[in-house]
Amino acid sequence: MALTMVNKYRVPGYLITVALVLGAGLRGQAPAEAQAQARRIEELEKRVAELERRLGEVLGKKPEPVKVAAPETKVETAAPAQAETRLPVSGYMDFHFNKPRGEPGQVDFHRFVLLFGHSFSDRIKFWSELELEHALVEGREEKGELELEQAYLDFLIRPYFNVRGGMLLAPVGLINERHEPPSFYGVERPFVDTVILPSTWFDGGAGVFGDFGKGFRYKAYLMGTLDATGFDASEGVRGGRQKGFETSFRNPALTGRLEYHGVPRLALGTSLWRGSTGFNVPGVNPRVKIFEIDGRYRRGRFDVRGEFAQVHISKARELNVAMQREGLHPNVAERLRGFYLEPAVRVLPRRFPHELALFARYENFDTQNRMPRGYVPLKQFDRTAWVLGATYYPEPDVALKFDYTFMRNASAVVKAVSGVNVGIGWWF
Amino acid sequence: MVVLMKVARMMVAAALLGLMPGADVKVVHITAERFSFTPSQVKVKAGTVVEFRIESEDTNHGFRIPAAGIDGVVPKRGKGELRVRFHAEKPGRYEFECSKACGAGHTIMRGVVIVE
Repeated sequence: MALTMVNKYRVPGYLITVALVLGAGLRGQAPAEAQAQARRIEELEKRVAELERRLGEVLGKKPEPVKVAAPETKVETAAPAQAETRLPVSGYMDFHFNKPRGEPGQVDFHRFVLLFGHSFSDRIKFWSELELEHALVEGREEKGELELEQAYLDFLIRPYFNVRGGMLLAPVGLINERHEPPSFYGVERPFVDTVILPSTWFDGGAGVFGDFGKGFRYKAYLMGTLDATGFDASEGVRGGRQKGFETSFRNPALTGRLEYHGVPRLALGTSLWRGSTGFNVPGVNPRVKIFEIDGRYRRGRFDVRGEFAQVHISKARELNVAMQREGLHPNVAERLRGFYLEPAVRVLPRRFPHELALFARYENFDTQNRMPRGYVPLKQFDRTAWVLGATYYPEPDVALKFDYTFMRNASAVVKAVSGVNVGIGWWF
Repeated sequence: MVVLMKVARMMVAAALLGLMPGADVKVVHITAERFSFTPSQVKVKAGTVVEFRIESEDTNHGFRIPAAGIDGVVPKRGKGELRVRFHAEKPGRYEFECSKACGAGHTIMRGVVIVE
């Protein structure tokens, strides 16, 4: 195989042509003349670079950044490289200030996440994600959490069929597998991705994944299921995550996701999750089914993303009876539903080296969308939110975020709390 | 000797850049973002020189074709593009992958060049 990597900013084609002609003329010349000629070429290259820099200044442009080193290389081997490779540590951080209306503000180092990877070979790879939430972990107290969100081995066989096992992110939703702070607008993740789909959702398991070509790719896993004793009305199934802590695997959940990436800057996806969740509830084994569909598209300065998710819990009435959740206590619903739509626009001129995005997100989510027979839904859980804000990118991996959340619910008694959020998130 | 080596390097570069006759160059634009290459499957005929022009929608990504010893860094959004030339001499499947950690789903960011 032969290859070369070129840098369009550093090696103009005409320079190479000139050098080629000059170089060809060197054949048969005395060494001293040839060296003088070479020095002359170098001098000319420096002068051209200086002229380009000055021209940029005159035109009011910033100098083009020096990008990828472009060694002119010719490789004469087709043998695959098999060397072990340890990837450098990378990670992301999320630091927030939240001020609910009528309440004192709080600062919170929400997420401190480090990612470690290792390639044992081109076919066997390890990847992991270790997260410290809310800065402080203390035993037996409601403080932060230290979570092993990912730690798995990939066995790469064919592009369309690969095997994965270990601690996995559930392949459900727009945010759960793509949650680096600069990759979404808003200080906090969308409510739909928090109370309908419980991101960050991870557990032990194994499965297959691959790319069919034509833009279609898939994942299908067997994973630890949810624990029905953790379900509630306000946050749905979120409290049921086992998080890989001695996870019951008697009835593992089946989950999968299909994505389409066939058009640049367009991503469509749909996810399914199905599992029995009653291993801790005597005599009742509710089956949970989750369906989700999402999309993202970007064109020029504009981008839009949206998501719809629905959760169905069978035997919710029996679960509420078994958990003694009767009367006015928030009961587990039979159906939870939510969706959001988020358009955004980048407003700064293209020549400006930074970016500023303005966005508006409308969310509608109801964790008691349909109750089991004999139970009345509480309207405080039928919520809508308008999140209006801005994200400033001094560079693509650093996001300074501001938003205001107008929260409403259908209840005449319990008021929803709006609030302002400020945050900074970065990836490295 | 040094000058001759320099000239030889330039001639190789010029040939691969398509300045010399006989080079059949096919330009393929790829968009990279967390966690996909679009397109992720590229088909070319044997003997083609493929110039990949890869642009990122977000952070730095890597573009690595292990079987060819290619490994470059795709600049961040708005910072330019990576250009890589791959001489597809022999028929076969040449997988490519992101070689720079880019987030939670980094390991699934893969694709294949099919040389027919």
